[in-house]
Amino acid sequence: MYIYRLVFLLVLAIYIFSPNILDWWTSPGNAWYTPYIIWAGLIAIGFWLEWRRDPNEF
Amino acid sequence: MSFSATGLLLASLLYLMILFGVAWVTERGVFPQHWVRHPLVYTLSLGVYAGIWAVYAAVGIAAESGFGFLAYYLGISGAFLLAPVLLNPVMRIGRAYQLTSLADLFAYRYRSQWAGTLVTICSGAAILSLLSMQIQAVSTSASLLAPDTSRNLISVMFSITVVLFAMLFGTRRNQGSETHQGLVMAIAFDSVVKLTALVTLGGVILFSVFGGMSGLEVWLESQSSPASTMTMSIDDGSWRALMLMSFAGALVLPHMYHMTFSENPSPKALAKASWGLPLYLLLLGLPVPLILWGGQELAATTGPNFYAIGTAQALGSPALTLLMYIAGLSAASGLMIVSTLALAGMVLNHVVLPLRTPKDHSDIYHWLKWIKRLLIAVIIFAALLFHETIGTNLDLSILGIISLSGMLQLLPGALGVIYWPEGNRRGLIAGLVSGMAIWIVTLVLPFSHTANLLEWLGAPLVPDYSNWHIFTFISLTLNVSVFSLTSILSGSSAEETSAAQACSLGALSRPHRRELVATSSSDFVHQLADPLGYGVAKREVERALGQLKLPNMEYRPYQLRRLRDQVEINLSGLLGPAVARDLVKRHLGYKPMASSGTAQDIRYVERALGDYQNQLTGLAGELDNLRRHYRQTLQNLPIPACSVGEDGEILMWNHTMEQLTGITADDVVGARLMALPEHWHLLLDDFNCGEELHRYKHRMDLNGKPHWLNLHKAALSGPDHPEGGSIILVEDQTETRLLEDELMHSERLASVGRLAAGVAHEIGNPVTGISSLAQNLKLETDDPEILSTAEQIQQQTRRISTILQSLMNFARTGNHSQANRYEPVIIQRCVDESINLLSLSDRGLGITYINDCPDQLMVLGDEQRLVQVFVNLLANARDASPEGGTIRVSGNRDGYSAIIEVTDEGSGIPRDQLDHIFEPFYTTKAPNKGTGLGLSLVYSIVEEHYGNIHVDSPADPATGLGTCVQLKLPAYEPEPSNAAISQNERL
Repeated sequence: MYIYRLVFLLVLAIYIFSPNILDWWTSPGNAWYTPYIIWAGLIAIGFWLEWRRDPNEF
Repeated sequence: MSFSATGLLLASLLYLMILFGVAWVTERGVFPQHWVRHPLVYTLSLGVYAGIWAVYAAVGIAAESGFGFLAYYLGISGAFLLAPVLLNPVMRIGRAYQLTSLADLFAYRYRSQWAGTLVTICSGAAILSLLSMQIQAVSTSASLLAPDTSRNLISVMFSITVVLFAMLFGTRRNQGSETHQGLVMAIAFDSVVKLTALVTLGGVILFSVFGGMSGLEVWLESQSSPASTMTMSIDDGSWRALMLMSFAGALVLPHMYHMTFSENPSPKALAKASWGLPLYLLLLGLPVPLILWGGQELAATTGPNFYAIGTAQALGSPALTLLMYIAGLSAASGLMIVSTLALAGMVLNHVVLPLRTPKDHSDIYHWLKWIKRLLIAVIIFAALLFHETIGTNLDLSILGIISLSGMLQLLPGALGVIYWPEGNRRGLIAGLVSGMAIWIVTLVLPFSHTANLLEWLGAPLVPDYSNWHIFTFISLTLNVSVFSLTSILSGSSAEETSAAQACSLGALSRPHRRELVATSSSDFVHQLADPLGYGVAKREVERALGQLKLPNMEYRPYQLRRLRDQVEINLSGLLGPAVARDLVKRHLGYKPMASSGTAQDIRYVERALGDYQNQLTGLAGELDNLRRHYRQTLQNLPIPACSVGEDGEILMWNHTMEQLTGITADDVVGARLMALPEHWHLLLDDFNCGEELHRYKHRMDLNGKPHWLNLHKAALSGPDHPEGGSIILVEDQTETRLLEDELMHSERLASVGRLAAGVAHEIGNPVTGISSLAQNLKLETDDPEILSTAEQIQQQTRRISTILQSLMNFARTGNHSQANRYEPVIIQRCVDESINLLSLSDRGLGITYINDCPDQLMVLGDEQRLVQVFVNLLANARDASPEGGTIRVSGNRDGYSAIIEVTDEGSGIPRDQLDHIFEPFYTTKAPNKGTGLGLSLVYSIVEEHYGNIHVDSPADPATGLGTCVQLKLPAYEPEPSNAAISQNERL
């Protein structure tokens, strides 16, 4: 259960700070599509994790 | 720009017909299975999440709160990126126990029909407003395109089409496949249409309105208000609330649960969707700012919610306008179809069936299908009613918020299923009721303009459009607090704890071993026939037997328990877990427990651990290796062993036990001792129940041959193992027993020999005296009578001497010290010599002796004594042979043994005499013909040569005549290699 607690804490932290993170992404200096690029980055990480996943895991 | 009402109606119908066509063609099997089950189709079908909100309302929210609209996409993207820890466990449970909806999951995990019913009510209430939102969007968009169309007519027509579609493609239940492939394909098609439409519109706006990316940058720089450029600061509260609701949506929205878990083709597809759905939503969200800016730039006449249509109209493109309308229609129809379908399933399983369990229906499947169809119609028309009375006056985003905040109340219970085994039904129900009460009072009633209780009470905070998130959090916090407190304060039932363990991550359920009332699978059918009808009961039991790969008739208790579980799982897919559990509990009950505690089902746990093998890592993996090691040790133990539970159920049956009994472990493990063949059952059951811990030399006839078994028993209970039961070792003592018998026989012979030697010695002297006196008598008289008498006395004394000589010979055979003087003996020569000796005293019977022994057949022994053996055997054969008969001596090598057979064509030896022929003084010959020592002597000499003797009579089973005496002596190998070795040495 150790790993799940860690994941839970991480998710909670991201959730709490998500408005600030989004404000940072959409600050006037950035291009309008910046949030989408960062979002795409997250998807790429998700894809990579899924790709290298051990087939026996879960 | 406007369309005619008829044209629009036709376009709508045409699109929906295409949707029907896609589903119909898929169900007909036109598309190959690997297309239909492809992860891409599955991922696209999950796009059902993006209903009207994604097509229309997102632009409206973007106009109000800038990039805040992304929360609706990012929340669920987060949930999918966390699929391995959030969605996979739910899918595992759902697949294992055939739980097709969230209500099923709750009813299974919290072991309460009320939990399922409450989830259904909560979902139903929340979904109504979501359905109303879809109807409103479709009717509003239609009225934008064709202002003269009646919105009510559009709403009704649209609802009817959705009802028809859901009825046709959503209620088919193929026994072979649990998924609705036509539906999945149609929803995936919907998703493609939505995406194409939005991306096309975004592209057109970007290039034809702004002239590409650089033009857009220039336009954005020219805008001064942050609202126009979407750079205003995010409202923390509503952002977090929307994000949380969207996150929860992955688990608690009925349509998402249905598509994600019930229609899932494989775990691999979910793994692909974990990034595929976020990618799809990213593409769907990308054109939203462009549409907003395009609408602003072109001064679209519609409100921001409908900028998608307004912008297309302002661009002056009827095709694009129609495409956007179709996109909205497809988003709305997809969401409505799936959520109605899912909700109908929930209502059926958790409202209808608990109230009225079907009885005496010849076809329960048919009955269920029609009830579900009826429910679909009822739900859609309830949504239509809600829309016409309340929903039509509300904003799209408010309808969405009411719905999502209601569904959010299910999140604590859903997370509890996977992560909190201590949560119980009381806590869940209390939490859910309080959360829902707050939701109704602070969100549903005020926003539907029905009643604003807080305003009437003069509360400091009154719900309005700007602070809805506060009330969402209040209701959720109360829900979570009540759930946890009540769960902690009140205990869980044993049944609930077991279900919680089965659901919690990485836990194994540890069922108890109890005896069912039903003793065979046919009893299952009879017992289930009562509630289900004979036909359905038979089909369900046969299906479960097939799934478990069991024979058509099953008696083993362990397999019957598995069968019971499988039947419950299958019925759960059909009737919902609560009804299935209740039905199985009532009709496939256990016998009352004999003792207070029941043993764990070791075999069940073992099987489950076997399935988990690949997933056990670290300490658990090491423990599993240790378990396997000990199990293998027991299995490979060279002594037959079995372990038996307290109730007489066989728990272990090792390999040597399989060899001894000829019964495989698969056939008996999990069965009772009673199920064994009668002789084994009587022996083991009697020994297991008896007081004695050891039983020696129990005689049992196996395959017509006697076996002697030693049994040992030990109780399994100990300080670390409170359960009863015993382990039984069965030693096969047959060989030892045969050796003992042989030893006793030899011993008897030896004592007879010693006795004979003594007697011979004592009698010899007087006989010699008598013989001498008779000789003297012959010299002293000429009386012919006396001479004749003296001659007869001498003859009789010679006879006595011969007998005594035989006795002496017999007695001497016990002397094994002579073995040192053994030399290689050629059997053929021995036999020839014996034949010659016998020929001297041939009685003219014309017996033919054939010596077939090969000349290289040699044994190590005393040639003279071996000649004695053959003389005796051949003499016996001759005496038994008819006139002109043939006696054949053959020999061959069998490994390290020389096998010599003496076969005659005589009358044979009766079966009852076979056991006695080697006993001294046992003879069937006439008094003057034999002493009864011949075969005893043979036996002794053969034993002295470390061989054995075996008699087969009759030798020829066809005629029933003849005797074959088989001698087995250790063969002598002349070792020709010695010369070669010495030559090598010389080299």
